[in-house]
Amino acid sequence: MARRLRCLVLVWSCLSGIPSWADEPLVVVPDTQQVDIKMDFTGADLKAVGSMRGPADVIIKVVAPQGEATLSREIKFGPFWIGGDKVKAAGAPSLLFLYANRPIDAILALPEREKFGLVLEGVPVRIEPQLQADAAEEWRKAFFRLKEREGYYHEDDRAVKMFGNRLFIADMALPGGLQTGTYTIETLLVKSGKVVGHDVAHFRVRLAGVERWVWNAAHEHAWLFGSLFTLAAMLLGLALNAIPFRTRRDART
Amino acid sequence: MELFLPIAHMDVNVVLILLYGGLVGFLSGLVGVGGGFLITPLLIFTGIPPIVAVSSGAAQMAGTAAGASHLHWRYGNIDLKMGAVLLAGSWLGGGFGVYLARVLVRAGQFANMVVFLYVVLLGFIGVSMLIESLRAILRGGTGAAVHAQGTAAPGSPIRAWAARLPWQTSFPASGVRMSAAVPLALGAFVGVMTSLMGVGGGFIMVPVMIYILKMPTRIVVGTSLFQLLFTTAAVSIMQAGVNHSVDPVLVVLLILGSVFGTKLGARLGTRLPAEKLRLILALVVVAVAVKMIATLVVPPGEIYDMTIEVR
Repeated sequence: MARRLRCLVLVWSCLSGIPSWADEPLVVVPDTQQVDIKMDFTGADLKAVGSMRGPADVIIKVVAPQGEATLSREIKFGPFWIGGDKVKAAGAPSLLFLYANRPIDAILALPEREKFGLVLEGVPVRIEPQLQADAAEEWRKAFFRLKEREGYYHEDDRAVKMFGNRLFIADMALPGGLQTGTYTIETLLVKSGKVVGHDVAHFRVRLAGVERWVWNAAHEHAWLFGSLFTLAAMLLGLALNAIPFRTRRDART
Repeated sequence: MELFLPIAHMDVNVVLILLYGGLVGFLSGLVGVGGGFLITPLLIFTGIPPIVAVSSGAAQMAGTAAGASHLHWRYGNIDLKMGAVLLAGSWLGGGFGVYLARVLVRAGQFANMVVFLYVVLLGFIGVSMLIESLRAILRGGTGAAVHAQGTAAPGSPIRAWAARLPWQTSFPASGVRMSAAVPLALGAFVGVMTSLMGVGGGFIMVPVMIYILKMPTRIVVGTSLFQLLFTTAAVSIMQAGVNHSVDPVLVVLLILGSVFGTKLGARLGTRLPAEKLRLILALVVVAVAVKMIATLVVPPGEIYDMTIEVR
């Protein structure tokens, strides 16, 4: 609650300095600037608090840094289903969330949505190696389908809650397995099917604590890490084996 | 309770992983196998990338084999000369296997190879064990001995062929004389299997040493564990160095579960007849093989799969 209040104060203080490029004043502030991936990380719940001058619809786009994914396709080989060909899908954000206070297609027409990148399947994806148009389109469709199924591409038309005509809060549930880097929260204010206001905020996702240490050690000093960790695993096994083991029956006798 | 795995870059249920370790350790204590053949498929079924499952499985086995090897060493059950030759072979094979794994990962064929090897090896071994243990139970517990003696005899043509190979060496602790090339090749084969399947290879090594190399069972178990310890340790180091795929959080959880499972299984193992123990193991092996076969023959709901590159 205190965090939310701090956000609101910040929003109001920012309103005094409305950016000149925006027709309509709009300020959006996430409740945290940093998401730490620690050992107990299973995802994160973020809130973005926003303020506007009058009644309007709000669309929020959360975009992660670009990530590379390998797509593979199973093929039938005799009676068996085995891994077949594979491609790389690059150039698309590793996560894309679209949030709004009501269905986005009811707020904006398709051409406007496409113009502002508000169509999940409209994100440009580069399929490597280059394929014929039909084949590439199949991989592209599979990419979006899998991204949506695994919760990395997602549209929610109830995530933005309006409080009166001037305030709104968006609940953003980020999944585990997030790509590290700087994420963008782009907010659009829409009136009568036209985008009239725009604001951008950022937050950072990073490995922290033991996770960060392990990741760095495993990648930057791979051989040393592998040797020391394997030795530690052997010593752990040796030490645990030395602990006397007693069952309830042993204890009674 | 969920825990984030830094190398697999995903969260897993701690209790589930401890149970996996416990189950594998329990079977290991019950029937005396390493359990690597079981842990890798279980981890893969949970969604852990195959290369991380295989590599972390090797590290876990190094951890759990350390205590048992130490005990055998104290009791004088290890033929160090034989162990050293086996080890030289398995390190060579393991090194080759790690690079082969890398090539297969890059070609997108690693998972195919793992599943194929598991189906063939587990299917063959599981069905053989199942038939043998059922026969033993039906004959009132004498089948195993009859089968063991019957299997030993046909080993002679192989031994005759092995006697013509170079580098004839005597292994006094085992009381055998043979070409060093034989254990070297056996070790190399097991090393490749460790890298590709995350298994220690005890289920291949032990029968070969008993039935073909004619080594005493007591020495076989100790020497096999000695070789397993250093092979899995070497493969773990190589997988970490080459593929960055050993997940320490996962390994520690598996070791914790397996050590206590092993002790529990060993206690129970002393109270159950040997043929029933072998039947339990055979059923588990066949079940894993059937599950693997099912992934190959049942049409998938989604033919596409996506692996996100973690940075």
